Amino acid sequence: MLLLTGINWSKLITIHNINTVIRIIVLLGFGFPLLLFICTLVGKAVQKRFTPQAGMLTRKGIFYFGSILLIISIFYQMGFKLTALLGAAGIAGIALGFASQTSVSNIISGLFLISEKPFEVGDLVKVNDTKGNILSIDLLSVKLRTLDNQLVRIPNESLIKNQVTNITRFPIRRYDINVGVAYKEDVGKVRDVLLDIAKNNPYCLDEPEPLVLFLNFGDSALEFLFAVWFVKADFFKLRNSIMQDIKERFDAEGIEIPFPHRTLYTGSVTEPFPVHIVQDKTGKSKKHG
Amino acid sequence: MGALDIWNHNKIGMGEVLKTQIGPLLLWFRKIEDEMHIAFERLSEPDTVVDATGPVVVNGVEPEGLDWGRWIVGAEKNIVQILPVMPDRPVVVHPESPVKIPTGHEALFFVSIPVWVRVLIGEKKPIELCEVPVLILSNTWFGDPLSGQLCYSLRSRARRQIKDSETNPSRAICPVKIRNTSPKQLDMERLCVHVEHLKTYGGDKNLWTNGVAVTFRGEDQVSKIDYSRERPSFEPISGMLSEARTPIKETILKKSIGSFKFFGGI
Repeated sequence: MLLLTGINWSKLITIHNINTVIRIIVLLGFGFPLLLFICTLVGKAVQKRFTPQAGMLTRKGIFYFGSILLIISIFYQMGFKLTALLGAAGIAGIALGFASQTSVSNIISGLFLISEKPFEVGDLVKVNDTKGNILSIDLLSVKLRTLDNQLVRIPNESLIKNQVTNITRFPIRRYDINVGVAYKEDVGKVRDVLLDIAKNNPYCLDEPEPLVLFLNFGDSALEFLFAVWFVKADFFKLRNSIMQDIKERFDAEGIEIPFPHRTLYTGSVTEPFPVHIVQDKTGKSKKHG
Repeated sequence: MGALDIWNHNKIGMGEVLKTQIGPLLLWFRKIEDEMHIAFERLSEPDTVVDATGPVVVNGVEPEGLDWGRWIVGAEKNIVQILPVMPDRPVVVHPESPVKIPTGHEALFFVSIPVWVRVLIGEKKPIELCEVPVLILSNTWFGDPLSGQLCYSLRSRARRQIKDSETNPSRAICPVKIRNTSPKQLDMERLCVHVEHLKTYGGDKNLWTNGVAVTFRGEDQVSKIDYSRERPSFEPISGMLSEARTPIKETILKKSIGSFKFFGGI
């Protein structure tokens, strides 16, 4: 109260000051809504003609540029000299730059990401162990929506430094399945059955052709790679149906999918495994190898 | 029976059930108050491919367990119309035995394409209710994996002439003329027919599409594709049954003949 009573109100409330306040209110009241309107309008037009990412970048670019202009105009109305203001902003910028190296690094990384275009808004990407759709590419970070609907913010700098996999960049993908069958099975029959499964699955593409490779004589099984091509949108349908098809068809054809097993030898392949039978106090016999 | 006979207007009474067969596809229609109910099933027997029966009233004998779809169309709409339309994506035709065309030569092939059935209701300004493929074709990719196109895959004999005795109500015959103007022999392993630009016509015995002329100019060149504006002239045509999904007036340039070798590797 003391502070307010000490103010000479008649000096402060002059026509000039009232005009300045009105001008600032007009700038704030009309400038920002107008800026937002222009951002939306131009952003939509760019998005329609190009990509959602281009639309978002245009919106943000116009917003940041317009906001700086508005803020400078408001300072100018308040009586600050523009040259001094810009000079001070330059010095402050250098000081801020030193103080906020991480942020600057993120901004520059963001610019590289935008120009390099490893992904766009809507793409499904994998960064380290995180998999999700790109929600937005911002000045400092990229926001992902994970498949279980969580928001993940990844700083641009780490995207530049780490490996990023864009899963949905290309329209078709290959799904690789490792299949193991028992040693007694006929390799040719297994190959034919797998190719027939791919032929009859509606989500497998005829071309590029499915691939069956005899990979290895494994510990417990003959190992095959079964690779089928599909349209990226059909991933879950394909994955579910092809696994079920393989199991059902192998069961129907009598092809065994073996469990891992070990055979123990006592040093000689031909001699039987030695078993000693001893009797405990209760009279029950126990076997000891 | 003409090919046009099953593709017709049919009146459906309140509470009535109609059944129609187009090759392996069975379609059921039911009118209840202001709703139209439609169900379909596909027969797996191979000898049903050439069967066709127009809509007949089968009240009370429809099989149980049909998966009915419901459309609110209004009580006054009681005319069901079915039309043959071309599939919604291009069809890649694989000739059963590879075809080679020497440079400077041309050849006419008849490609038989399974149609889709478009169901409409109403006589004036009919409303489109649904489309059902007569046969489910497998998917394939035409072109390179980065910029190709999703298509349907079709094995074809790529016949050179149409026999009088043969008729198939569930397929439309597309006459494709291929001209090889490239300096090398054309090995035609697959042909991409952009069926979305084709109209369907009803002939005396068969369904037809307008003709396609493909000029092959080399492996690395796009082909020149002309879509005929005239009705096909291989048998008497009663009239056009359906317009093209994407009507096209001009010649287009597209990759249309392929002998791509896709990359393998693990």
